[in-house]
Amino acid sequence: MEALDVDLEDGELELPAEPMHLNLGPSHPAMHGTVRIVLELSGETIVKSDVQIGYLHRGFEKMCERGTWAQVFPYVDRLNYVSPMLNNVGYALAVEKLCGLAVPERCQWYRMALGELARVSDHLTCTGAMAMELGAFTPFLWFVKAREMVWDILEEETGARLTHSFGRIGGMASPPTPDFKGLCRAALEKIIQLVEEGEKMLLKNRIFLDRLEDVGVIRGADAVALGWTGPCLRATGVSYDIRKAHPYLKYDEVDFDVPVGTKGDTLDRFLVRLGEIRQSRRIIEQSIDRMADEGPVNCDDPRVVLPEKSDVYTTIEATIQHFKLIMEGAKVPKGEVYSYTEGGNGELGYYLVSDGTGTPYRVRIRPPCFQITGGLSRLIDGRMLSDIVPTFGSLNMIGGECDH
Amino acid sequence: MPTFKLDGKPIPFEPGDTIIRAAWKLGIEIPHYCWHPGLTAPANCRMCLVEILPKPGQRPLTLDILELDTKTGEYRTAQKPKLQPSCYMAAAEGMEVLSDTSEHVKRARHDVQEFLLLNHPVDCPICDQSGECKLQDYWLDHMQTKKRMRDEPVHKPKGVVFGPTIVYDGERCVMCTRCVRFMAEVAKDPVLDMRERGNLNEIVVSPGRQLDGHYTFMTEHVCPVGALTTKDFRFKARVWFLRTAAAVCQGCATGCNAHLDYDPRYNKAYRYRPRDNEKVNKFWMCDEGMLTYKEAHDGRVPEALVGGKEKPLGAALDQARALFSGVPKESIAIVLSAQHSLEDNWALRELGTVLIGSKSVFKSGKPDGYEDTILIHRDKNPNSKGVEQLAPGVKALPLLVDEVKASRITHVIALGGAAAVDVDGLRSAKVVVVAAHAGPLTQVANVVLPATSWAEHAGTYANVKGLRQESEKALEPLGASRPAWAQLAALATALGYEPSWKSMKQIRTRLGGAADARPASLPATAGAGQLGGGAE
Repeated sequence: MEALDVDLEDGELELPAEPMHLNLGPSHPAMHGTVRIVLELSGETIVKSDVQIGYLHRGFEKMCERGTWAQVFPYVDRLNYVSPMLNNVGYALAVEKLCGLAVPERCQWYRMALGELARVSDHLTCTGAMAMELGAFTPFLWFVKAREMVWDILEEETGARLTHSFGRIGGMASPPTPDFKGLCRAALEKIIQLVEEGEKMLLKNRIFLDRLEDVGVIRGADAVALGWTGPCLRATGVSYDIRKAHPYLKYDEVDFDVPVGTKGDTLDRFLVRLGEIRQSRRIIEQSIDRMADEGPVNCDDPRVVLPEKSDVYTTIEATIQHFKLIMEGAKVPKGEVYSYTEGGNGELGYYLVSDGTGTPYRVRIRPPCFQITGGLSRLIDGRMLSDIVPTFGSLNMIGGECDH
Repeated sequence: MPTFKLDGKPIPFEPGDTIIRAAWKLGIEIPHYCWHPGLTAPANCRMCLVEILPKPGQRPLTLDILELDTKTGEYRTAQKPKLQPSCYMAAAEGMEVLSDTSEHVKRARHDVQEFLLLNHPVDCPICDQSGECKLQDYWLDHMQTKKRMRDEPVHKPKGVVFGPTIVYDGERCVMCTRCVRFMAEVAKDPVLDMRERGNLNEIVVSPGRQLDGHYTFMTEHVCPVGALTTKDFRFKARVWFLRTAAAVCQGCATGCNAHLDYDPRYNKAYRYRPRDNEKVNKFWMCDEGMLTYKEAHDGRVPEALVGGKEKPLGAALDQARALFSGVPKESIAIVLSAQHSLEDNWALRELGTVLIGSKSVFKSGKPDGYEDTILIHRDKNPNSKGVEQLAPGVKALPLLVDEVKASRITHVIALGGAAAVDVDGLRSAKVVVVAAHAGPLTQVANVVLPATSWAEHAGTYANVKGLRQESEKALEPLGASRPAWAQLAALATALGYEPSWKSMKQIRTRLGGAADARPASLPATAGAGQLGGGAE
């Protein structure tokens, strides 16, 4: 058959200059969660991108207005579902701030240790998945193996691997198990070994580095202007960590550093997360060293803390207490509060309004991902199509939390 | 008006008011079990103790007490102010009373509550009062501590049948004697009393009697705990799933104000509770009235009927049109119903006298029955006065039967199924009935259009004193039923008229404004949460 272009003049061989539109997502294997990016491509170069979120919107904030304050915990598990414990602790701290409660020291250390374990799991997932999406499958498997160790500890403590619902107003669902400290020490050793091995494999790989270095660059001032917090902000060189800047629990009593990057590119974000895993280990070790083996975990306030089950079954006073707390919910004093903690991705804030009843009047969440995802277009515009995958991966957008 | 100070806040009172009543009138609650605004005060629960400061220059009333010195472990003598029961203490000008601000009062409340719970069984999970129980509320408000007693609690009779309606549980009882006083003071039948002393105390029925009569439900209503339960409501529902609507009892012409408690999940009414109204029923309702909530479901006409057979609404309206076509207006009569609301009756009057132009207006309703001097009225219809207001000189139903027999009336449009007389004579006429409940009139009707009951749409009812009271919507309409005024509008359209009313609001405007007494909706129970989904 005759060639189709046989009649064409040389000048007419140019490719059409009309931009091509491409939908990336909402369901795409390389997209974290369900998010859609509408791209305007010129060849493989991104001319314009439009990031559209909301595919995982479940009306979380509205759901919270139906049950009791304590019934919000299962919902917050499903915000950043890669580190549910941090959400649990953050929400518990917010309600306690509104109630003017302080949990016992043992509980504070326990919450720190559990929270940092969750942070380790969060960073392992993010960095591992990012490497896998660039073709590096082995480090992903190692990181997931390490994450599995974290989850084993959390399962031992809470009974659930992912959605723990372990936080309580005024304490935790149950005290630390006797094995907790030993499990942590043993697992952290192995986790760090696995992280180091993975790191060795990735950071000596030219292809991997080339895909990350100078890709998705953002300046510190721009990141601050966008409202970025957490590892993504720190990768730009801005050393802002709520655990240092506005310490809560016992973070002001432990030694740890805040890893920061220099350029704010995808590689920096990758390295900051790995650095934070090591810092989390330091925090966990100090926390479990200082956490008492005996003593109360829950604060001693019958208006918010459930009584012992054995008392509930045998005495009327505890039955009434249980009934009031479960059926009507703890009465949180009238007022409003904004409480913020360092979540896996940055500032996780809860703005709560109480009308004095057992049901939240309003629960507003400030998810760190929301602001960070808002800056994605700026990182990928002008870059190649294939840069989206590592750049987006390094932001660690979590749909459950972003689409609150 | 003279005033006294409660926790520094001036409280006006009428001479003769006790401290607790004066505070109650202002909506301030001093915790109490035995006191009830509608009963005398025995001052036996000791929950309402308050501290009354001595007049300047006077010595305070004190009690000598033994106090444990926690440091030495020895008891030493001390003094504390003598607290006074606020339910018995008459308020006096310039009196300074401490309630929530006195440490002594708080301590007393805690200790009284602890004593009351001392022998209380662990019954909350199976107790009908759970969720609206004062023991639960006051534990959280005033006690908040665990059980200290290690001994086996005192056991008392449980599940004692007091009569045809009431079951008593001695272990749950706090001996407030509200039920005893209610029967003696309000029902005028002192059939209850207490026997034994101390922690063996229990409520008993007089030998040879049982707790019966027309006001037994009120003993359960006044019970602040779960000691008295009604056989009707026992184990039927959990109160925190119930929502409430402010209703008007349909049992008689007194028009008692009531809370109609219903479960929105099942669209089912579960009980009535009296709604306080000083002008009508004070705090009370009668047994017969308390049970009329069942009529929200029983004896209803859920679908349209043609010749006694269920038919779609459209077919029923077609049949009505066929029956009424070409009938001279002089041969058509309308029958207003004392069972239906003012709005429904207004719509029928409008259809009959204005659109059709008939001059024959009659009135139906349930037959008279038992009456007493407390609440129960002889007239068993909630809106007799309203019908008389709408159609002065309205004729009685027997006259209609005579007119039909004399063939002066051949066609009838009636509201409501109830009739106090034999209406078989109406069978020779063509009858269309719009009714919520089946009755003699629906029996003789050629066409029945289903209407909603009082529980399924808002309505205004004029009681025997002519007071117009509004009853709120609680349930969703049953089957094909619609408010009677809406069915009458559909009927008017079917008969070829243009109805002049399209909404409840229009009817109310033309009725001459809103009801005299609009209900202020209250939560179903003190602890009604959002668990089952709100009705509002």
